[in-house]
Amino acid sequence: MSNIKSVIAARAGAEVKNGQVVNLGIGLPTLVAEHLPPGIDVVIHSENGAIGVGPKPAPYCEDVDRANAGGEPVTVGPGGSYFDSATSFSMIRGGHVDITFLGTFQVDGDGNIASYEIPGRLLAGMGGAMDLLAGAKTVYILTEHCSKEGKTKLVKECTYPLTGAQECDVIITERALFRRSPNGFVLEELAYGYSLEDIASATDMAYVISDALRVDAFGGSEPRK
Amino acid sequence: MLRNKVTGIAEAISHVESGMSVAIGGFLTQGDPLTLIRALRASEVTDLTIYSCTGGFKNRGVVELVILGKVRKLVCSHVGTTPDVVKAYHAGDLDLQLVPQGTLAEQLRAGGAGLGGFLTPTGVGTVVENDKQVLEVEGKLYLLEHSIRADVALVRAHDGDSWGNLRYRGTAGNYNAVCATCADFTIAEVEFLYNPGEISPESVHTPGIYVDSVVRADLTYCSELLAPC
Repeated sequence: MSNIKSVIAARAGAEVKNGQVVNLGIGLPTLVAEHLPPGIDVVIHSENGAIGVGPKPAPYCEDVDRANAGGEPVTVGPGGSYFDSATSFSMIRGGHVDITFLGTFQVDGDGNIASYEIPGRLLAGMGGAMDLLAGAKTVYILTEHCSKEGKTKLVKECTYPLTGAQECDVIITERALFRRSPNGFVLEELAYGYSLEDIASATDMAYVISDALRVDAFGGSEPRK
Repeated sequence: MLRNKVTGIAEAISHVESGMSVAIGGFLTQGDPLTLIRALRASEVTDLTIYSCTGGFKNRGVVELVILGKVRKLVCSHVGTTPDVVKAYHAGDLDLQLVPQGTLAEQLRAGGAGLGGFLTPTGVGTVVENDKQVLEVEGKLYLLEHSIRADVALVRAHDGDSWGNLRYRGTAGNYNAVCATCADFTIAEVEFLYNPGEISPESVHTPGIYVDSVVRADLTYCSELLAPC
């Protein structure tokens, strides 16, 4: 449901601060580009070798040499630059990317992320994700709370091969926002129309509820059906 | 006087022999040396080990060689866009080694740069760590990764001169730049060909010393990617 993706992307975009360098993973995270706070200095880094990635090109204005990490055509705005993959990953590993937004298959209470293989079902490969988890200053996992089959993605312990161990800092779903603390994940925000019970019944990973929990903190304004 | 390295495609691709290792540039559809890949596809060469960033995109790119059974081993970071590569792997027809994209790029760069290897934090705590030395430096854990060299490199540049200086355009540089440095014999396909002196020294991305053979790219392959107007 595209509305769910927009809710997640919008809440994620609101996290970005002035002056930050942001990397967007393929899939849902690319939508964050449409929800960045206006009027601040933010640049998007693309692992395939660009800084300054901008909006989708106008129809018929696609350029075969200008695409994002998912192969989708993009524009590159004023002040942007192009570089090769060794340079791109030097930027990533060298701590020059402030935020990476990634999707996942599973995330658990220790911040372990499993996003590149479902054994026996799907093999995508890690691509640049392992480098991004190791190098980016803050790692956001953006995901629907549950899979298409209705199973939670916020698991007690990751069972699929890990993309990164203890690397996740923030989880944003259409239901909630969790932020990692020294004591594990803290549930800080409930999306509009979701209760603590809606989170508890759909989450296997360990978490604590913030003393300053914000209810109806983000998301649509229509009542949830 | 600088040597003219421009040849026909058949002569260039004859440097790839069965059993060789080939480093191939490109990221999904951007900057993949499709002219050279398709020449290889049409040749009798087989039993190749290929180093590349991805398997290609759908049925375009390195995957074209995999489908024909010409590839014994593929070392790359991502096969999510090439189901036929995954199929060949599951069928036991392809040895597939997945490597983090930044690590593989740095392995090729290190191979071209005469380094024995390097330490990277990428992959610590994952299956990538298996069978590797894990070293601690100033309190942080790193994997020891070895450098990679290939027999032949196939790269694509937007333009270049007849001596092999290359320039990349947009996001089509990606793995081409490191692949060009890591092989005993580098073949570059260029979309536009200049004479030495027509490309300013400041603008060169890959100096011609890395390049052994230059061919003209087939320009029609780009139009495959563009929606008709």
